[in-house]
Amino acid sequence: MSAPARGAAVPVAPPAPGLTPLLVLRRLAVPAATASRRVLADRGGLVTSVVFFLLVSVVLSALWRAAAGPSGTVVGYTAAELTWYAFAAEAAVCTIDLRLIERIGEDISSGSVAVEMLRPLPVVAVRLAVESGRALGRLVALVVVGSGAAWLLAGPPPDALHGLLALVSLALGVVVNVAAQHVVASAAFRLRDVRATWFLYQKTVFILGGMLLPLEVLPGALRTLALWCPFMAMAYAPARLATGQGTALLLLVQAGWLVVLVAAAAFVFARGQRRLEVVGG
Amino acid sequence: MSQTLAVVRAAFTDATARPAAFWTQVGAMVANDLAMIAFWILFFHQVRSVRGWDADRVFLLFAILATAAGIVLGFLSNARRIPELVETGSLDEALSLPMSPLRYLLVRRVDTVNVGDVVFGVVLFLVTGHPTPQRAALFVGGVVVAATLLTAFLVTLGSVVFFTGRGEPGALGMHAILLLAGYPVDIFTGAAKGLLYTVVPAAFVAAVPARIVDAPSWRDVALMLLATAVFVVLARTAFGLGLRRYTSGSAWGRG
Amino acid sequence: MVLPAERPRPADDVDPATLAIRATGLVKRFGSGPHAVDAVRDLSVSVRQGERVAYIGPNGAGKSTSIKILTGILRPTQGTATVLGFVPWQDRRRLAARTGTLFGQRSQLWFELTPRQSFRMLAAIYGLDRAREQRRVAELGELLDAADLFDAPVRTLSLGQRMRCELAACLLHEPEILFLDEPTIGLDLLAKRRLRELLVELNEAAGTTVFLTSHDVADIEHVAERVVVIDHGRVVYDDDVPTLRRSLLATKLVDVGLGGPAPAIVLDGVREVARDDALLRLSVDTTRTSIRSVLDVVLDRCDVVDISVVDPPLEQVIAEIFAAEQA
Repeated sequence: MSAPARGAAVPVAPPAPGLTPLLVLRRLAVPAATASRRVLADRGGLVTSVVFFLLVSVVLSALWRAAAGPSGTVVGYTAAELTWYAFAAEAAVCTIDLRLIERIGEDISSGSVAVEMLRPLPVVAVRLAVESGRALGRLVALVVVGSGAAWLLAGPPPDALHGLLALVSLALGVVVNVAAQHVVASAAFRLRDVRATWFLYQKTVFILGGMLLPLEVLPGALRTLALWCPFMAMAYAPARLATGQGTALLLLVQAGWLVVLVAAAAFVFARGQRRLEVVGG
Repeated sequence: MSQTLAVVRAAFTDATARPAAFWTQVGAMVANDLAMIAFWILFFHQVRSVRGWDADRVFLLFAILATAAGIVLGFLSNARRIPELVETGSLDEALSLPMSPLRYLLVRRVDTVNVGDVVFGVVLFLVTGHPTPQRAALFVGGVVVAATLLTAFLVTLGSVVFFTGRGEPGALGMHAILLLAGYPVDIFTGAAKGLLYTVVPAAFVAAVPARIVDAPSWRDVALMLLATAVFVVLARTAFGLGLRRYTSGSAWGRG
Repeated sequence: MVLPAERPRPADDVDPATLAIRATGLVKRFGSGPHAVDAVRDLSVSVRQGERVAYIGPNGAGKSTSIKILTGILRPTQGTATVLGFVPWQDRRRLAARTGTLFGQRSQLWFELTPRQSFRMLAAIYGLDRAREQRRVAELGELLDAADLFDAPVRTLSLGQRMRCELAACLLHEPEILFLDEPTIGLDLLAKRRLRELLVELNEAAGTTVFLTSHDVADIEHVAERVVVIDHGRVVYDDDVPTLRRSLLATKLVDVGLGGPAPAIVLDGVREVARDDALLRLSVDTTRTSIRSVLDVVLDRCDVVDISVVDPPLEQVIAEIFAAEQA
């Protein structure tokens, strides 16, 4: 099965009466998997993403290693732990298409969402599945290359079990991020230009999400704020687990944010959909 | 020289007349610069200094980078568009004029948004850079040389498109050098550090000029001028040889 | 078909010193290996100073490529050429100072600027002083009847208006040769006619050599004194327009929209090219029967809904040139 751009034409079974959530999830797995395969098949695009991810991770981890020194620590992390932190945090964020939010916004304002409304599954569900599929496909490549690079620079992952948890957490973080971007992009239902919103969002993930720095670096009140924001689920949670610290509680927090953000995305899309129907798409 | 000035003047008139999502983009630029400043403030809140680089010197580095990159991406904005210009055959315009095509192209387009970076960089220097006449003079000199080097690097990489037909090296190279230039070069060691002084001369775009402003040394100045001269020669050679292979956007088949 | 080298051409017997363009054996190959394509192969052509030459050929024949070689934009794979005594790809800048180029699909004028602002920049590039610039802009404004267009941003001009300003831009420095690549493309009839008249006026007043490519038979008929046809990168025909006019350009097409069945039109030099229920197309050799008498007969005998007289497409003219050469 090969689908054209952004999974718009992924064939989905006709509507069945009484779709259970489990059934919906199983149906969504198909377009998501297709999107993953397509991202991995696009060699040129994949190489560019990997190179860029490596570049950013190498620079940031070098900064943190230099800051910690060979035997010291920064906010409780050793140089090796900080290296794994940087690679995990960057992988979580770099895997997501830089123009995702703009694309969602364009789709919404151009009315192609209206076309997708004709599908038997909820628009927002198909979108989230496809976009997560793409990001997760790329994530596989980044994790493989990134783990190798981090290992070379700082030795093996600090803790094997935490490492496995970090993998799950990375996947969760990516889906949370995709869902959150759909919520933010829904601003396009009202605004014509989502770019400004996007820059604000991106920089917030940089700092409050823990992409550029472990949240422990932040001073008291700011740290508390960051820990109570959904952004921490996007980069900080998997990165902290990758350092061998933190607990499975982080996964629970991520799952919680996932539920909240998917619900929020569904809500704003449903509202936007009604508007489109009224205005006529 | 009067040729260049005439094109510069036209480019400015053109830029002010060109409609763009100006404020959105300026907002993005400021958000980006402020996020980096916030990052460094938070960083140095925990770490006093990294291998001789403290907050003040990193701000100086960032001020030089923002100013130099702003000049290149703002006033010489075609420096990073060589692949695009070659692929679409837009060099024809430059080649039908009796002046140096590279000089014409470089000054032909102004991106006002990036000019905002210049303002940001200069203000950052004035606020955090402890400006004295000597430091200010070194800042200006460093920025000018750094901008020249950055332009030459972008033109060199962009000219790869003449030989391979691919523009990606140009795009990737630009992102790489701007990213790498934004951090103190001394966080790297060994071969990686060596690369930043040679193949991807990011060290000379901000770190070395920052060091020169703080602690002037003839060795640094000489190194920087040498690196710039080498890349200027490379850029002119690559572009010149590339022009001989220029296909004017019509690989074939077009009348 | 007679190869170009064997056929005497109008410019061959002229003193080389009076030649504006002289090209011999030009080859331009794009790409390499099995994917290589020769856009121009063994092209030889000479143009006298002050001549008006139409350089025509089917799409992909190598017209733009040869103009780009002659202006120094492209470097040929093989062959020699001099334009005003310069080798274009070696002396591009000095040559550019003395030639004007107008590409119908590209603009010399900057979109957001007014033509006058672009002229100011171009004048500085061509080294004209302020007084000469102003005199020239005034002259051209009058000549091209475009002075009132010079102060509006180019993006607000219509295509026809823009082309007049483009022409002014490439005439600013009083070039000795004017290269025009499809200058009338996309223009309406009136604008096309205006541009053609201008080119002739300019040539007659200033002696400017005009070298133009076109797809439009009327451009050739009304501008050129000589036609060079190229195909697959070679010159396949080179002769005066009067000769061409006597033979091929004498053909016109008459399209008749029909309201009912029409009888066959039998007249000397008239051929039925196409016919269906609603349309009858006649090809008329005007040296044998005038359009007027054809129209008289058609209006008399058919139920005419609509009628138009057009030039045959260039492709057809070229095909007939080939046929004639082979006969």
